[in-house]
Amino acid sequence: MTMVELKNVSRVYLGQSGPVYGLSGFDLRIAEGEFVCIVGPSGCGKTTLLNIVAGFEPPDLGEVLIDGDKIAGPGTNRFVMFQEHALFPWLNVSQNIMFGLKMAGIPKREREERTAALLKTVNLSDFSTAWIHELSGGMKQRVALARALIMDPEILLMDEPFGALDSQTRDMLHEEVELVWQRTRKTILFVTHNVREAVRLGTRVILMTAKGGKILREYPIALPRNRFLEDVEVVKIASQIRDDLRHEVLRAAKEEGYHVD
Amino acid sequence: MSIEQEEQSDIAKVRFFAQGYHVWRGRAARLGFFVLLIGVWQVAASLELWNEVLFPHPKEVADAVVLGMRDGTLPQAIEASMRRLCMGYGISLLIGIPLGLLLGRKRLLDDTVGSLAVGLQALPSICWLPMAVLWFGLSETAMQFVIIMGSLMSITLAVRDGVKTIPTLYLRAAGILGATGWRFYWYVLLPASLPAIITGAKLGWSFAWRSLMAAELLYVTSGIGSTLMMGRELHNMALVVAAMILIITIGLLTDRLIFRFGESFIHRRWGFGGRD
Ligand SMILES: Nc1ncnc2c1ncn2[C@@H]1O[C@H](COP(=O)(O)OP(=O)(O)OP(=O)(O)O)[C@@H](O)[C@H]1O
Ligand SMILES: [Mg+2]
Repeated sequence: MTMVELKNVSRVYLGQSGPVYGLSGFDLRIAEGEFVCIVGPSGCGKTTLLNIVAGFEPPDLGEVLIDGDKIAGPGTNRFVMFQEHALFPWLNVSQNIMFGLKMAGIPKREREERTAALLKTVNLSDFSTAWIHELSGGMKQRVALARALIMDPEILLMDEPFGALDSQTRDMLHEEVELVWQRTRKTILFVTHNVREAVRLGTRVILMTAKGGKILREYPIALPRNRFLEDVEVVKIASQIRDDLRHEVLRAAKEEGYHVD
Repeated sequence: MSIEQEEQSDIAKVRFFAQGYHVWRGRAARLGFFVLLIGVWQVAASLELWNEVLFPHPKEVADAVVLGMRDGTLPQAIEASMRRLCMGYGISLLIGIPLGLLLGRKRLLDDTVGSLAVGLQALPSICWLPMAVLWFGLSETAMQFVIIMGSLMSITLAVRDGVKTIPTLYLRAAGILGATGWRFYWYVLLPASLPAIITGAKLGWSFAWRSLMAAELLYVTSGIGSTLMMGRELHNMALVVAAMILIITIGLLTDRLIFRFGESFIHRRWGFGGRD
């Protein structure tokens, strides 16, 4: 069953030096329960893709279907973990995590119980009343993850959520995401610039072109789970994808007229 | 407690006292500065560097304050002014904050009502006094009207600009967290604009205060502005200076008592903007 379907989606930005294709003629089908990782050079349109699936930006052409219905804006069935944390500075850590439940009218007792449980999962129980600006970058992303998980959305969209983290924290959060995915089989669309991270987590890895906003290649990842970043198989597949990525970056640079040896 | 924990709590204590020290040093410096200023004034006045009619001796000013307090004219004047101010300014806040929030969100409203507000802000509110007296007579309502015209626009526009600069990321997060309709305004837009609201409220207060003083100076009724005018007519410069000092003091006190509180609230949560 297809959960998310992008049909011929295009999104053009009017940059200073002419039009820039965020996406063009982009087709993608994601089945329910898939864990799709998007990799590609910086500026290739990954965030654009996520914004369009989230409903923050309408596509200029084409359409996005979820369970067969065309989307018309953001909805609570999809949740986004942004590239920057987007936590509210006027709320403390636990208030931030339970904000969505409050909006949904869930009683205070239940909100607090679920928040406490999630705080424990992301190892932040001691910081439940801290203000956001008092947290380190990694702690902020952990709060953001807890806020995303508490919403229990059907589709989780993640934009380089662990990009700026140290390796121990990232490993811990990988395990957390892995656990959530295995337990709930949510549909996840995960953007990263780290190819090994994509192979470690995804059921499928999609490599985008450097320019023009298209899919270059797809790689189904059939390795058994639970995987680790250091697994030989993971490293092998990742290095193949990284080769393709490097060729793509070089090709794009040549097209622009640069000489890269 | 382990030795390490003890050490840490000692460090915390030192930090705590260091902060307290900064606060108290600031207060002492401020007090010392003003005492010095009065001292210089005192010395200069007793050296008779200028004609006493032009600027009074500190002692005379102090006497004027004491006398005014004793016979009740000053407290009455302060009360009359503060009552007008609170009414007029309160109404400005009640209208200005929601209006600013709406203007920041609704494009059409901003293009129309927003431009009107910008235009009206260019008009010093005292210019409304003739109209206000024509409509409401020489009454409290006329004074309050002038205060409102003086502060409403600045509050509205400051809040509007604050709303417009809320990061898109917060607004997007609000959408997917299910904050829609009135919930969006109450739980996201209002708190996200708090820094701007405090700036606007502060700006509005100083405009309200100026408008009121101008109105009281022009139309003799009661209030501190009128006390100042009375001093002028009686050639009592000590009373004039006393009224000026009162006006400054009230301005300073409001800033300390009300706005500092708001700013430190913002500082604690946002981690910027306030003063310590
Ligand atoms: N609002 C905008 N206005 C103009 N151009 C934009 C805008 N947003 C994105 N772009 C352009 O669209 C292209 C794709 O941007 P996008 O943010 O999707 O890249 P990305 O793959 O997420 O990059 P990164 O890995 O660096 O986050 C870029 O070339 C960018 O310059
Ligand atoms: Mg991006």
